[in-house]
Amino acid sequence: MRRVLSAVVQRAVDTSDGDLARAVTAGMPGLADAAEAELYRRFAPRVRLYGLRHLRNEDAALDLVQHVLLMTIEKLRQGAVRASDEIASFILGTSRTVVIDLRRRERRRAELLDTFLPRQKFAPPEADTHLDLDQLEGCLAQLSDRERTVVFLTFYGERPAAAVATEIGATEGHVRVIRHRALARLRTCVTSLQEPS
Amino acid sequence: MKQQCASPLSEEVLTEYWARELEGEREAAVEEHLFNCSDCGTRLKTLAAMGAGVVELARQGRISGIISRTLLNLLQSESVHVRLYTVSPGETIPCAVFPDDDMVVLSMRADLTDVDTVNLRVTGPDDMPFGEALDVPIPPGSSEVLWATPGVIVRAMPSTRLQLTLQAPGRSAALGEYVLDHHAQP
Repeated sequence: MRRVLSAVVQRAVDTSDGDLARAVTAGMPGLADAAEAELYRRFAPRVRLYGLRHLRNEDAALDLVQHVLLMTIEKLRQGAVRASDEIASFILGTSRTVVIDLRRRERRRAELLDTFLPRQKFAPPEADTHLDLDQLEGCLAQLSDRERTVVFLTFYGERPAAAVATEIGATEGHVRVIRHRALARLRTCVTSLQEPS
Repeated sequence: MKQQCASPLSEEVLTEYWARELEGEREAAVEEHLFNCSDCGTRLKTLAAMGAGVVELARQGRISGIISRTLLNLLQSESVHVRLYTVSPGETIPCAVFPDDDMVVLSMRADLTDVDTVNLRVTGPDDMPFGEALDVPIPPGSSEVLWATPGVIVRAMPSTRLQLTLQAPGRSAALGEYVLDHHAQP
């Protein structure tokens, strides 16, 4: 068993998520640590994206990563995760539970802030975009006004296609087409600017 | 585990997921896939980064071109400093931009009855082209077209006079002609 796990961890990059989970549960000194680190490396970006999608806040998403993966590793160490091969689903389920809890606490926190402190003094920190804003601005300028409006209403306004359709006097299906085309052009533009010349 | 995704999520689905248009089982299925697939996660990360960049640009007032009233209201409600000028057809208005202005928006009033789209042409002295917006959709019931320029760009402009012409495609008569008399800050 020890030899199998050792091989598992040494080849961590090529190892299945389930094998890593089993290595953590087995808890062998040295091996479990490496398996935990690999699980974290693998799932932290996924949990962060999940957090950004649901919480729309970089700090909250990073808190979610810490929280969820600590809980996961604790459960694995305790042998409380029965289906190791479904560790991804376990982490997703944990993420869902924690987000619900965070939202409840956030509502409570917002109520307290509204009661005791002016909201504008506690604006959320800026998101880590990983993109050069000047480049992105240049790429946005290459879109048509219609495309740019759809992009801003989608991301900044957080409007679904149906609401954008009402806003620009188009059908929902047409907005989806415009959005798809605009994002493809943006992606191509941003990527081409990031490639070394 | 490093492996190619056998059934990648389409860009449309990733966008719909990020825009919170998916619910229930469809949303759950996409999330299940994303937690099991680093390839699709990487593509979603690119989309998320573009979205975050767009949000940041909006918060800095770095939006150029025609914008909707909803977007303008959102920007103003989020403390973006907008210098708003309203002009009617045939009018000339003096305008200036101040150090705190994140963006300048010109509201061009016009009779937009039965107009689906408009073209806007902006020219400087000697009819020099300054900007153009084509085929801009006009929602039913509109009575204005909003033209936005980041404050940082307007602050860099010398004093000048801009002529704006609003036209419905296929119509010879203009919907409105407007003049902006821009005064650069000393």
